[in-house]
Amino acid sequence: MSQLVFMMGEYEAHFPTDRMYAKNHMWASSIADGFRFGLSAYAVRLLQDVYFLDMDIEPGMQVVEKKEIGAIESKKAESSLYCPTKGSVAAINDSLLDDPTAINLDKYGEGWMFELRCDDSDLLSPEAYVKHLRRAWNVAQATIKGQANA
Amino acid sequence: MPESMTELAQLVVVVSAGQSRNPEKRDLEKAVADRAAALDGVKVIKIPHLYDLAPKGDSFRLLQGIDADIVFLSWLYDRAAHWVLDRNGVRGQVGEVELKVDSDEDEEESEEEEEKIERVILSQPRPERTIYSLDFRSSQRSEDFVEEIDRILSEGSQARTPLTLEMLERYEQPTNDTFVGAESSAPASDDSLAMLFGTQSLASVDEHPSRRWYPVIDFSRCTNCMECIDFCLFGVYGVDSVDTILVEQADNCRKGCPACSRVCPQNAIIFPQHKTPAIAGAPVDSGGLKIDLSKLFGAPEQEEDSAEVAARERDEQLILAGRDAVGKEESLVEQRLSEKATLQKPANDDLDGLLDELDSLDL
Repeated sequence: MSQLVFMMGEYEAHFPTDRMYAKNHMWASSIADGFRFGLSAYAVRLLQDVYFLDMDIEPGMQVVEKKEIGAIESKKAESSLYCPTKGSVAAINDSLLDDPTAINLDKYGEGWMFELRCDDSDLLSPEAYVKHLRRAWNVAQATIKGQANA
Repeated sequence: MPESMTELAQLVVVVSAGQSRNPEKRDLEKAVADRAAALDGVKVIKIPHLYDLAPKGDSFRLLQGIDADIVFLSWLYDRAAHWVLDRNGVRGQVGEVELKVDSDEDEEESEEEEEKIERVILSQPRPERTIYSLDFRSSQRSEDFVEEIDRILSEGSQARTPLTLEMLERYEQPTNDTFVGAESSAPASDDSLAMLFGTQSLASVDEHPSRRWYPVIDFSRCTNCMECIDFCLFGVYGVDSVDTILVEQADNCRKGCPACSRVCPQNAIIFPQHKTPAIAGAPVDSGGLKIDLSKLFGAPEQEEDSAEVAARERDEQLILAGRDAVGKEESLVEQRLSEKATLQKPANDDLDGLLDELDSLDL
């Protein structure tokens, strides 16, 4: 599988080139009339072990970019999850609600979170995403340091 | 049956697991359960996350059969846990606990203010037994919880109704007509009864609930004003045979929507899983009518007041459900509020108290 690599300090984050990416660190792989979304290696590396996932969306719901759609708790962080783009919810990976470990074990496969009927207008190519990461990584390091020193 | 009155325990400790697989949280649950089970006079029952439990599932069926005092531990605010249990037929008095999340010392209750308000609980008192709710988030040390359980155990041991075998038999073969659980088609079996505790002090209920989302009413605050039933357009609320509000169709509620709790004038509606503590059942400021003077001191205007947020959240859910948005007009809160403002009540009005407090502030 062809992939791009981004160095997060010593850690090599891999990004398969068979799919697109969203700025909020989700991958988007094409399905019939939409995309399936999951967390990118960058997001999973920052989170580390995921303990809990909650989703506020249900199939059939209309969603817009940046709408709060759920929450995640991991070894390193707690965060709300936001919608990567406008569309309608086609499916939720219910099995992750019971046991979210697939996000760590198989982030680009079984660890998918939801599917949207949407277009690719807000999505990035793998190359553009890695470029976006260079900026994001600086901000993330500052954020982590800021919170650790607080 | 002489054994049926056998005293099994002074106190039942229920440990409700969290939704998270965080190993630290799981370890804390296990440590507290194991250590509590080692205390004399204590039986421990482990159940799944309280809020997700099915109304007619095994966990509630078991808990409904217990008349003894209960210490209930969960990853929810104590108010939230108490009133989820209450809605599901596990009722009692609120037990005072000393182990709390961020327990602040200067907790002054203004009793006189409280007495003027006709809370539902005053006309519909709960059974005498006590339910002590503890929030797992109040400490990371299992010792603290065990100490608190020990304190509760020694506190009211004389007056206490012990857990008897008879109560557990009710779980196996419910006979009382107030029982609303599953049909008693399953015959009572000595095996399953023995399996529940046997010679052990610790038992688990094997139930695998999926996620739920619904409001919980705190009847120690609710005044039965009916704002919520007016506001919710999804048919969640109803009234019982004596016209008291209740959450009738919990699963009609829209996932993530907390709008009705924002329109409740008494902060009586709790969404235990909401991330805003005030909505999730954090303690309500009991200092009477505190006035927010932050605007006076230059705080920026809020973009929306809570009635507007509630109307917007409701509209979002209406649209998601394929219905038409209704906006704020439908809300009776505004109307009632303006009615209250125009109807000058002579004495004992909320406004008097408010002005008194303003005076005493000596601005």
